[in-house]
Amino acid sequence: MMADASGNPTEGHNSARLDLCQPFVNDLPISGASVTVISSSGAQVALCASDTVAARLDEIQFELGEGPQWVATKTGTVVLLPDVSSASHEQWPIFAASVGQLNVGAIFSFPIRMGAATVGAATLYRDTPGGLDQDHQSSALAIASAIASTAVQRAMTFATDDVPESVAVPALRREVHQATGMILVQLDTTATIAYSRLQAYAFAQGRTVLSVARDVVTRTLAFDNLPL
Amino acid sequence: MTANSREAQLSAAFVKLADTLVTDFDVVDLLHWLVEECTRILDTEAGGLLLVDAVGELQLIASTSEEAQLVELTLIAAGEGPCLDCFHTGTAVTVGDMQNNAGKWPKFTAEAIRQGFFSVHATPLRLRGQIIGAMNLFSTHTRELNPADIAVAQALADVATIGILQERTIKGSSIITAQLQHALDSRILIEQAKGVLAATSGMTMNDAFVAIRAHARNNNLTLAKVADDVIARVLDVTTTTAK
Repeated sequence: MMADASGNPTEGHNSARLDLCQPFVNDLPISGASVTVISSSGAQVALCASDTVAARLDEIQFELGEGPQWVATKTGTVVLLPDVSSASHEQWPIFAASVGQLNVGAIFSFPIRMGAATVGAATLYRDTPGGLDQDHQSSALAIASAIASTAVQRAMTFATDDVPESVAVPALRREVHQATGMILVQLDTTATIAYSRLQAYAFAQGRTVLSVARDVVTRTLAFDNLPL
Repeated sequence: MTANSREAQLSAAFVKLADTLVTDFDVVDLLHWLVEECTRILDTEAGGLLLVDAVGELQLIASTSEEAQLVELTLIAAGEGPCLDCFHTGTAVTVGDMQNNAGKWPKFTAEAIRQGFFSVHATPLRLRGQIIGAMNLFSTHTRELNPADIAVAQALADVATIGILQERTIKGSSIITAQLQHALDSRILIEQAKGVLAATSGMTMNDAFVAIRAHARNNNLTLAKVADDVIARVLDVTTTTAK
């Protein structure tokens, strides 16, 4: 039997077939897209880039630790730069200096949200300047939500060598979201930080997010009173 | 007698649907209403409604109870059983006696019978030729739904899904409409809000949902809006429903 050309195990699961960047490129008037999510260690993990410019745009922001996709991820809001050359780049001065070398006219960063938690960002670019209308912004946000749970699962698979959680059940079970809500109360924080703490704890313990979430929901584990 | 009361129930249901569809309604609330109404009108004991997500998996959006048991059964139904068959074929599947189908769907049948359900009926949710999900109705009796019952469930489901606009359809074939995505997102918000209530008041996940729904209905708010405010910690729904 031949091995898969890419060396990856062939998965029967549908999410294996979904290219996370392609829906943005197909449905929106843009040149390219990249998708990053926050990994269990708190770093941004690049999941895909549709072309080399999109990949470079993502890389620059990762290296510098600043740029529109960081703002979108941290604040959970949409960041629109319809004209990169004339925009005020107060929030990301170093990024502004580097982006000039790329052939990029407009940049749009959309938060990837899972309920109230922001788990990453999709950064879209166009080689010419110009805005994105309301309908396209709504579409971009809907696509970002649609890929959220697949994106988070892929990031988890990248971060650990664990066998991914059973692919036969829906991507993220209710317990994960319920635990996020419980942890945000226990730590008196936001859903975004609560989810990242859940993920980080699971990673540190070498466990799956789902199994930790179940302990939280059954009240055998509380984040305001974590065992050392 | 039963026929008359059913007729009255049906008329009331369609009036309510028509009222909802001409206003600015929320898909999640509509689907919750649909599964509750169908369960009642068709004299069944429990129901769950699943929508397909962007990667083609069925996700539980609304159910008559949020008890873990029913949720679990519906999740199994997303993997095997009449619901999945109904979703794939786009036609209703009625199983009058679960015990005759143990061989076909072992996991689903065992769990359903363990919970005391002996018949199940699955109705496809259709949207202009596309199957977007399925609704399961469970009964504690062995009983095949008659063609009139099946038609009622399908009619209610069809009218409800007509309300899901297609004008904002995202063109990519793998991605569903923005409104359906909104329904799936709302479900996550509701789960997070249930967690917030469980942690602040010590209530069970099911009671947390009941409190959210009661607050939404009493104040004419959407489930998603109430969930959002609970998560932002600006709304306490436990005081209003404790009495």
